[in-house]
Amino acid sequence: MNKLFQKWGYIFAFPAVAVVTFMFIVPMFRNIYLSLFESDGLSVMRFVGFGNYINMFKDSNFVRSIFNSVLWVVFTIVFSVGVGLLIAVFVNGIKGENFFKSVFFMPLTISFVSVGAIWWYMYSKEYGVLNQILLMVGFKTKIDWLYKMPLNNISLLIAWSWQQLGVNLVMFLMGLTSIPSEQIEASRIDGCNKWQTFIHITFPMLKPITTVVVGMAIVNSFKAFDLIYIMTRGGPVRSSETLAVNMFVESFQRNHQGFGAAIGVFLTLLILPITAIYMRATSTVDHADNK
Amino acid sequence: MTKKKITIGTIVVYLILIVLCAVWLLPIISTLMVAFKTPAEYINTKFYQPPKGFEFINNLKEVFSYYHLHINFLNSFIYAVSGVIFCILLSSTAAFAVTKLKPRGSFFIFLLIYSGTIFPFQLYLIPLLRTYNWLGIYNTKFGMILLYSAICTPFATFLYRGYFLNLDDQIMQAAMIDGCGPVGIFFRIYQPQLKAPTAVVALFQGMWIWNDLLFGMILSSSEKVRPIMVAVAQSTGTGGGKIPVMMAGVIFTSIPTILLFIALRKYFIKGFSMQSGLE
Repeated sequence: MNKLFQKWGYIFAFPAVAVVTFMFIVPMFRNIYLSLFESDGLSVMRFVGFGNYINMFKDSNFVRSIFNSVLWVVFTIVFSVGVGLLIAVFVNGIKGENFFKSVFFMPLTISFVSVGAIWWYMYSKEYGVLNQILLMVGFKTKIDWLYKMPLNNISLLIAWSWQQLGVNLVMFLMGLTSIPSEQIEASRIDGCNKWQTFIHITFPMLKPITTVVVGMAIVNSFKAFDLIYIMTRGGPVRSSETLAVNMFVESFQRNHQGFGAAIGVFLTLLILPITAIYMRATSTVDHADNK
Repeated sequence: MTKKKITIGTIVVYLILIVLCAVWLLPIISTLMVAFKTPAEYINTKFYQPPKGFEFINNLKEVFSYYHLHINFLNSFIYAVSGVIFCILLSSTAAFAVTKLKPRGSFFIFLLIYSGTIFPFQLYLIPLLRTYNWLGIYNTKFGMILLYSAICTPFATFLYRGYFLNLDDQIMQAAMIDGCGPVGIFFRIYQPQLKAPTAVVALFQGMWIWNDLLFGMILSSSEKVRPIMVAVAQSTGTGGGKIPVMMAGVIFTSIPTILLFIALRKYFIKGFSMQSGLE
């Protein structure tokens, strides 16, 4: 009987294992191998060892894309995680919580591509909404939101935060509702004001969930691609490329496939430790729930 | 409950929240309004002036005739539906195997499948494109369905696994004693209990496939195969006075995910908490 179940276990798991192995695992190893070659995808590959990795750091576009990715991470943590947390604390338990929640949540139901297109309209120079508002309040010059360094990066990040805030808000609200209200009340009786309660009680208790939210925010900012591609195509003159966009441009538009493969490996090396940290935090959250 | 006093603090909080809500609604409302204007009206009116007529349908007509979005729309519909169905089949059986049938090395099998969600796409895009070329499935509907089914499987397996772990084994053991085989146990006992995780998978992965841009751009090249978001992305480059038409297209392409969201709303938060691993 047990043998039969063992056998069927393999049969049931096989299709998923086969698909994942064939589509992802094998290509991953081939990508690492490919990153040691110079290849345009057509002519014969030439072994260059770590040459691609060395050239990467000599390439000013790549270095700028690292800089932009870091900017994305910092901005996301401050404006979509930080503000998400503040709004969660404000909104938690007040009248109209559901209304506020759904307003901030709404952008999540539309795709990055649509968000990009919508903000592309908001930012458009001649008749875009933002420039019209500026005109109304007395600004004479029209601003080139997406076509000037470094404003283009900030404009992209505003659109990004507009979309991402909802996830963080909802996760923090989940965390807040799991804090027992007795603890909050006790601190109020002890004479803490709202701010002190937040600093001494609420925030420390949110720590595991904050780790997860921040971790995911960092990983997602490193992987951001769609929004940038739609709104600026990484330009002008490659000034708004992040690592993910840089990898796309090098591999699929300029056919530097070995080089692109190396960027992929580099990006993975950046992301994996962060993933590991927040996955570990996840298991501590699980623990807290089980007690 | 004691009645709360209205303090200056509460008023300030509400004011800030209302302003923020207005900021958050501005892009949505202005998009909706512009999609109902003619291109000429768009240039001559302010963004806050309501549209005079109902140009949405005419704008959509241009979306279909000029950008042929309906072809891509249909493609993405096929990919989303078949991708979700295949992924549900692959992942629910795999999760059943590693949690209930437990063959030797089942945790390793699970980790192998789950690793598909941990690594970024950038780590396998180029080899995947090469494999697709080599197999001759580049720019085919089959290739796209294969990719989308595969890419949804790791997370879905993770989700089903969590669910299976909470279902007890007693009924299964009873069925075993009655002579029911593994296949029967899966289809007769567990399958009917999987509505909730299946809804989460359908919502999350359906939305994911519908919204995908990167894989669609890399693995397809012709209008007949390209998914919808690639087509929308291409239309942003042209723009100009065509913004009302584009925005009508954006709204049109967002309708399926919004409908899906409304229909399966109660599973949405659950999906997020599971995706982050918080459940």
